[in-house]
Amino acid sequence: MDWGKTKFFLGEVVRNFTRNAAMQITAIGTVAVTIVLLGAFLFVRATLAGLGTDLLSQIEISVYTTNDATPKQVAALESALRADPRVASVEFIPKKQGLIEMKDRVKGEIDMSLLTENPLPDKLRVKVKAPETVPAVAASAQKMPGVANAVFGQDVVAKMLRLGSVLRGIGIGVIVVFVLVAGIIISNTIRLTVFARRREIAIMQLVGATNTYIRMPFICEGLLDGILGAAIALGLLALAKTTLWPRLLEALPGFSLANVRVDGTAMALELLLVGALVGAVASWISVGRYLRT
Amino acid sequence: MISLRNVSLAYPNGTRALDNVSLEIGKGEFVFLVGHSGTGKTSLLRLLYREMGPTAGDITVDGIRVDRLKHSRIPALRRHLGVVFQDYKLLADKTVWENVAFAMQVTGAHSRDVERQVPRALDLVGLAHKSRMYPGELSGGEQQRTAIARALVNNPKLLLCDEPTGNLDPTTTTEIMELLGRINIKGTTVVVATHNSAVVDRMRRRVVRMEDGRVVTDEERGYYYLGLGQDQILSG
Repeated sequence: MDWGKTKFFLGEVVRNFTRNAAMQITAIGTVAVTIVLLGAFLFVRATLAGLGTDLLSQIEISVYTTNDATPKQVAALESALRADPRVASVEFIPKKQGLIEMKDRVKGEIDMSLLTENPLPDKLRVKVKAPETVPAVAASAQKMPGVANAVFGQDVVAKMLRLGSVLRGIGIGVIVVFVLVAGIIISNTIRLTVFARRREIAIMQLVGATNTYIRMPFICEGLLDGILGAAIALGLLALAKTTLWPRLLEALPGFSLANVRVDGTAMALELLLVGALVGAVASWISVGRYLRT
Repeated sequence: MISLRNVSLAYPNGTRALDNVSLEIGKGEFVFLVGHSGTGKTSLLRLLYREMGPTAGDITVDGIRVDRLKHSRIPALRRHLGVVFQDYKLLADKTVWENVAFAMQVTGAHSRDVERQVPRALDLVGLAHKSRMYPGELSGGEQQRTAIARALVNNPKLLLCDEPTGNLDPTTTTEIMELLGRINIKGTTVVVATHNSAVVDRMRRRVVRMEDGRVVTDEERGYYYLGLGQDQILSG
């Protein structure tokens, strides 16, 4: 390792970085603002998606047996459902308990005391592992012997699933726009610093420096802009999460987010990576334009 | 060292800078390129260090076919030759030492070689004692010496100079030319484009005269003005 060489290179990077301080601050600020917006958006999206998954996971399938089903048939049905790898749990609800639950649910709305006998069939309460499989599991249960009907909140599931895919679609679009905007601004900033150093670049080319070598300090500059901007943004986001977010939740009652977990560390790493990549790629492009003379 | 065959150069705007130029320059020669401004001296030099490619013709520099050179091979060519300009092209925020070292550092030289060769180059141009000064603190002649040291620090076989004394007074001009002469004696091929007649007449070296993008005369021990030699012979 040639330390003199490394020292020279790092010295050049630091010198150029500090010499164009005003421009670097612009670039870093741009990245920071973009990443704050992007991060906030991603966080809200992840929370909504988490909320959706949470609601979906509470969805259950009610498998009603036919009235003439024997206990043996019901037991066979129960074990058949349990054997399905998509199924998380199966609970047998005899008609007696079903009636009690129903009375509980409609208390004060419908007078159940008029009923002379229990009209309900026995029921199996099925929970699945992945919400997307609810319709398929219900359909296969429907075909089993001794089953009168297999029902679930069809419209709710469909809506939630659609919401999920829409969120994903909007997410990708918004991310692309954010990254493009940050990229263009960084690219312009770096172009200014390239312009400020055109004399130096001309001399480097004259004495036989390769284009890769000439590019390197600018790439490092872009990387630094991206990483510093993302770091500032992450600090702001962390601050917002601890101060603003709880108040926002208070202001929005009715949303239970107790079961929603967003992996903040993974998201922070992703955002850092996005910042670094945008910085490096943007400066690569803007120097490239200058070198192609 | 240098060979041009039927070289023409037209700029994109249609200006014809060089018109069917053929020229041979051997190893270790010292050659003046003379002519008025806009006769193609600078264009010819630019072709040699591949600042641009010719419209037509073959160019060979130190065995390298410069006219066919791939873009990625240009840095390698430039490491084998030094170029000096009228405006020195020094970096104002670097010292003399750093300016000279820069040429080695940005081409990936080992720092041990930089430590060894920079003082040698500065010694050669007589600036060792000013190595810590900045270009702004130097006279024009000293700045040009710095530029020459930078051009020589990689030990090139060929030194190209485009009006090296254009901004200098007569005394300094003489000093710079003597320096170029010494460099030539050490074995470097030197090509100097100039329209300084006094320099050319004093040095009595090979003179290639250009007019309207063509080589019009090529004399072994020439003067700046065509025919001056014969006049002197007649009058002497």
